[in-house]
Amino acid sequence: MQLSTIDFLAAGATLLAVWMCGTPGLPSLLRALALQTAILAVITMLLGLQWHASHYLWLAAVVLLVKAIAIPVYLAHAAGRLRIRRDDGARLGTTLALCGGCGVVIISYFLAPQIAVMPLGNAGAAGMALALLLIGMLLMMTRRLALSQIIGFLVLENGIFLYGLTQTHGMPLMIEMGVVFDVLVGVLVAGVVMFRLNRSFEHIDVTQLRGLRH
Amino acid sequence: MTAILVAINLLVVPLLLVGVIRKVKALMQTRLGAPILQPFYDIAKLWGKTETISETASWVFIWAPRAGLAVAGIAALCVPWAGVLLPAGWAPMTNLLLVLYLLALGKFFGMLAAMDTGSAFGGLGASREATISLLVEPALLLGLSALAIGAGSTDLNTIYKGAIHPLVALLVGITLICTALAELSRMPVDDPTTHLELTMVHEAMILENSGRNLAITEYAVALRSCVYLGIASQTLLHAWPAFGSLPLLHRYGISLGALFVLGIAVAMAEGVLVKLKWRRVPHFLTASLVCSLFAGLIAVAQR
Repeated sequence: MQLSTIDFLAAGATLLAVWMCGTPGLPSLLRALALQTAILAVITMLLGLQWHASHYLWLAAVVLLVKAIAIPVYLAHAAGRLRIRRDDGARLGTTLALCGGCGVVIISYFLAPQIAVMPLGNAGAAGMALALLLIGMLLMMTRRLALSQIIGFLVLENGIFLYGLTQTHGMPLMIEMGVVFDVLVGVLVAGVVMFRLNRSFEHIDVTQLRGLRH
Repeated sequence: MTAILVAINLLVVPLLLVGVIRKVKALMQTRLGAPILQPFYDIAKLWGKTETISETASWVFIWAPRAGLAVAGIAALCVPWAGVLLPAGWAPMTNLLLVLYLLALGKFFGMLAAMDTGSAFGGLGASREATISLLVEPALLLGLSALAIGAGSTDLNTIYKGAIHPLVALLVGITLICTALAELSRMPVDDPTTHLELTMVHEAMILENSGRNLAITEYAVALRSCVYLGIASQTLLHAWPAFGSLPLLHRYGISLGALFVLGIAVAMAEGVLVKLKWRRVPHFLTASLVCSLFAGLIAVAQR
């Protein structure tokens, strides 16, 4: 099987996601997220050029502006306001989380051909998209701070976006745009909730939310 | 022709590389540093000195470094780390699994000698060395397997004859450089010039060696540095598709250039980086394992 540029870019995005699993520092997490989303924007642009469809170029521009620039900048601003710089995983240490990320990549690589019966049947990118999705879930489950759970959610969303884009011809432009702005609003709302959480409890550690306040 | 180049590789290049690394490191610290040929003088001087041997040491302490040098020499002979491929008749000797475990065997002899002296530091260093080699092995094996999958053979001569896919070469190259830093006890993992015994890995192991014994150990380390850094630079060079078909001497010159550039990079990194906490070393090596894993996946998908 010959791999295309798109497969390699998808692999790069997944490599960044695995790296995020083992990174405790929030600034580097956000930088990795921004880079990963920018890679997805490049993939969108390349597919648009390949299929001669101009609306993918608009989509790429919106993804780049909203998801790769606006959201990470907003989250970095929030992290600065809350004065948090690192998040050591709650349930997995960094080394174990890295290994977990690797395991997820292997599993999804072998899982993808089983479920991808799509018109384009791009198995290489499908495995990578599935891995992104699962790693996002892993990040959401294993991290301690509410902010890193938002980051995990964004990785998961990137996975869904990549899967839809490479396996089908993607949704119509309106729906994709709607999803992007939904994500933006979701992150803004989550940010507001996070600030409220911080004001009420003086931390945003979700593992402590079940206990009584003392 | 090949014989002359191999002789230069085994006798001149290793100590020259050590000298260059030391010189660059000194310059990074705004010291003048020893001359580049100093490691040759050191070996000659140590060879003539009398040895001081611990009373608790047995014959193992005398013979383990010699066995280690022999093993490192065989590995340096078989691995095409400077672009010089051995003739086809050597095929079983250039298998990557054999070479990998020859290098591990060399480390085993080093640990044996360190434990034999009965010094507490020797035991400590050996235990840390064993831990590091345990962590390095999967990354190294997986990285080289990715190359083997790409070439369809575990023979290093076959792997380094054709081109390697650029992305695979890049990922495996990163893995090999990271593992080389750990295996050679260089900066982010171990500080080779530290004077605090509690933080040393390699230096703690050779604390008791002196005279001829120390000269042999140092030479084996220089050979191993060449093998590890050389194989990393070869992997990166083979991302250039035409590299394998260049004339032998051009290939040799470029390979040596790349080897020394990598050595200088290692020395410069040593001037800038701080040593990792011992507990963070597994994290560093797991990151290189991730790189090699991705290289493997890409190689499998590419096939």
